[in-house]
This record gives sequence, structure tokens and C-alpha cells, in this order.
Amino acid sequence: MDTIIKAENLSKVYHLNKQRTFKEFIPAIIGGGETKKTFHALSHLNFEVKKGQSLGIMGRNGSGKSTLLKLIAGVTKPTDGRITVVGQVAPLIELGAGFHPELTGRENVYLNGSILGFKKKEMDALYPSIVEFSELAPFMDQPVKFYSSGMYMRLAFSVAVAETPNILLVDEILAVGDQKFQKKCLKRIKEFQEKGSTMIMVSHDKDMLEKYCDIGLFIQKSHQEFFGPMNEAFKKYEETL
Amino acid sequence: MDKLPRLRDNLKLMWHYRELLWNLAYREINQRYKQSFLGYAWVILNPLFQLLVMNFVFSTVLKVPSQGVPFIIFLAVGLLPWNFFNNSLSSSVNSLVTNSSLITKIYFPREILVYATIIAKFVDFLFSCTVLLIFFVFFRTTVSINLLWVPVIFIIQVIFTAGLSLITASFNLFYRDIQYLLGLILMLWMYLTPVMYPVDIIPARYRFVFALNPMSVIVNAYRQTVLAHGNPNFSSLAIALIMSLGVFFIGFYIFKKSEGEFADYV
Repeated sequence: MDTIIKAENLSKVYHLNKQRTFKEFIPAIIGGGETKKTFHALSHLNFEVKKGQSLGIMGRNGSGKSTLLKLIAGVTKPTDGRITVVGQVAPLIELGAGFHPELTGRENVYLNGSILGFKKKEMDALYPSIVEFSELAPFMDQPVKFYSSGMYMRLAFSVAVAETPNILLVDEILAVGDQKFQKKCLKRIKEFQEKGSTMIMVSHDKDMLEKYCDIGLFIQKSHQEFFGPMNEAFKKYEETL
Repeated sequence: MDKLPRLRDNLKLMWHYRELLWNLAYREINQRYKQSFLGYAWVILNPLFQLLVMNFVFSTVLKVPSQGVPFIIFLAVGLLPWNFFNNSLSSSVNSLVTNSSLITKIYFPREILVYATIIAKFVDFLFSCTVLLIFFVFFRTTVSINLLWVPVIFIIQVIFTAGLSLITASFNLFYRDIQYLLGLILMLWMYLTPVMYPVDIIPARYRFVFALNPMSVIVNAYRQTVLAHGNPNFSSLAIALIMSLGVFFIGFYIFKKSEGEFADYV
């Protein structure tokens, strides 16, 4: 089987400036105080996800889950070690990041599509199915600032799942819209998995993790505690709660 | 010398992401005058009133000479390109910060955000040139074949603008002081550029300052080709081109070097 994501000794260290402003910085230099503080967000992660597998990531708040998703999405670089990602990543992290409130639903769909790497022609073909999925047809020519937060999320999700991605990142966002819409989203994710997409999901929900993921990664205090079959991973995670 | 292949690869990358570039530029243009009654007309009205006010102050009150053409035309040929430079820089310095939600979530070459801003300001600039056209018709000003130099000068200006924008945008991401500092520098820079006065009222021994200022060379070259029907000063223009390319390479290098850390600091 082909490897889709491979982390080797993956580490991320953030440098936090203790003194953010000039007023604080100068006395610190003169007084010989520390000006920088390091924060190990992730240390020495080793795991591998093969094509068609889905990985569930668990861990308490602040354990480094979001940093890991950022590393997979390629928005930030590892401080040490390596991460190899093969294929297009569709991030479902905080939906609607690229939306602009003053633009209409339609304009935002096209803009968001191009951020995700679609061409205009592809978007023209996908547009009707996006509108249909979002159930927002009557509102497409309204600026999205008039949308309710549920409508906003629905539209963003619909764009993100318009096309089968190679790798789908899901970060606890499935609180999208009402129950009916949530079911629809999960059904769509299941379809992707059947078509061979690789999914990376961050969640605290046992049912969800066991239903959608076959392997699990449990991170505690930025260290890898366990990587292996999902049920075992969740057991380890549960023990620490 | 591995910089050139990298730049070539980057051009390919920009071509790959061209639709995102257009869409972001479109967003920039489109969102700005939404919910305003006059809408995009402000792009023309703004420089028009700016010109009328400055014309009154510098020509009527201060009697600044204008190289044999009506002062308002003399002013417009310098001020409109200056506005493009000024607006591009002051918008792109914030382009990374205002798009932080994109930068922390999705990967794409970040310089697209800076370039999209410049493209949007370029469209504004084109529209603002209708003001100049109106004055040309009103004063029956003639132009000559030397007008063909304008695109060449303009390209040099764009290279210079893009380079500086890349530098300021990436620094501003780490230290927001840059955006405030830039406002001050641009104000000072405008007075050190012969936008509102002809360069020949400056004593000769100070003029070397203008030769080292690419914007001054560029503004002079526009006037020389559009109004004086002559060729631009080739040696000055060559220096400006070299400086612009230098600034662009440095800007590109700084930007690419710090790009990987943008998401961690924004």
C-alpha cells in the first residue's frame, strides 16, 4: 500500500518572545534577562498513514493536535524531523476562513474554490452541486455578512467537500448546522472514505472516532503516547481522563 | 547564482495559482466600495478632488512653475503614478496580517496576497487615469510617439513597488510597527520626489538625491515622455531599473526566507 502521510521524528518548537514591545524589550536586554522562551508543541512523532486509512487524533486541549494538523496542511514547517504528505490536502479546519463578509455567497464560493486549488471551469461544473448541498439556493446573491452562523458554516462545508480530496483534515468542526445537515456531512465523509480518501480527524467523541477511523494517534503533552489500532488508542486515551 | 532558477520556478508557481491571484485581486477591488452609494466612482473622484486642492495650493497660492503645461496636468502625470505606488505599499504592508485566517489554515504561496493587492491598486490606477484624460481633452494637450515609453517606465515602477511591498509585508508580520513607520516614510518620500514641483527648482548640488530615488527618476521620466515629448533620461532610467531589480530580488529573498514562519507569528 502507498504511504500518504509519514512523520519521522517530527518536532515543532515555537519561540515565544517574552517581551513583545520595545518598552519591555530594552530593559530585558540591559538587565541581561531572557528575551526568548521556547515551547515544545510537538516532540518526536513517528507515524505513518497509508492510502485509504483514516487516522483519529486524540489528546487533551493544548497537547499539540492542531499544530499537527497545521504541519500536515503545510502551513507551518517542522523545527526538526520530517513530514511527507502525498497528494492534495483539503483542510476542513475552521470553515469559511477565506470568506469575505461583503461578498455574496456565490462570489465566496468561487473565491474559496480557488483557494482550495480549483480552476474556474471546475468550479462552474461543481457550483450547482455545492448550492444544492448547502440548501442555500435563495441566498446565493446575498452578501454572506447577512447569513446566520449556521448558514455560513453550511456554505463553507459545501465548498470544502465539493470534490473528493486525497486527504481530508477534519478538526472537530462537525457541529455544522442542524442534525439533519450534520448527518449529510458525515454521509459525505463516509463516501469519500469509500472512494479511497485518507482522512485525518481530531475528535474527543468515541463513537465518531470508532466509526470513521481505523488507526489512532494519542498525543499527551506534545509527546506521542500511542500509535496503533483505533480501539486500543482510545482505551489508552480514556485511561488518562 | 541559484536565485534565478528559483525565481523561474516561482513564476511557474504563480502561473499555476493565477486564478487565485485574480480572485483575490477581484475580492480586493470588489469589497472596498460595497455599501457605498457612489461605489467605484470614488476611485476617480478621490484623485480628482486631490488634484483640484493641490492645484489650488501649489499653483494658485504658491506659484510653483510647471514646465510650460497647465499645472494640474503637470501634477496629475506625477501624482497618479505616485498614488499607485503609495496605495500599493500601504495596502500590501497589511495584506498578510489581514489574511491571517487564510495563512494559518491553508497552504498557498503567500506572495500571492501581496501581488493581488498590487493588481487591485493597478486597476484603481487605470481608472484614475480617466481624470488625466479629461484634463488632456479640456486643455487640448497633445501627446507624441514618446508616449510608448510609458509602459516601460511603468514596468520598472511595478518591479520596485513589488519588491518594497514584499519586504514591508513580511516585516510587518513580525513587527506591526512597520505599518506606522511606512506611513511616515511615504509622506516624507513624497516630498523628496518631484511630484508637486519640477525637479529644476531644486539647487543643482542637491539633485543627486533625486538620482538615487527610483520614484523620482520614474516620475521625471513620465513627465519627460508624456508632457515634454522627449525620450526619458536613459542613464537615470537604467540606474532606476537596476535598483528596482535589486530591491525586488532582496524582497523576494526575504519573503521566501521568512514565509515558513508566517503562520507561527501572524
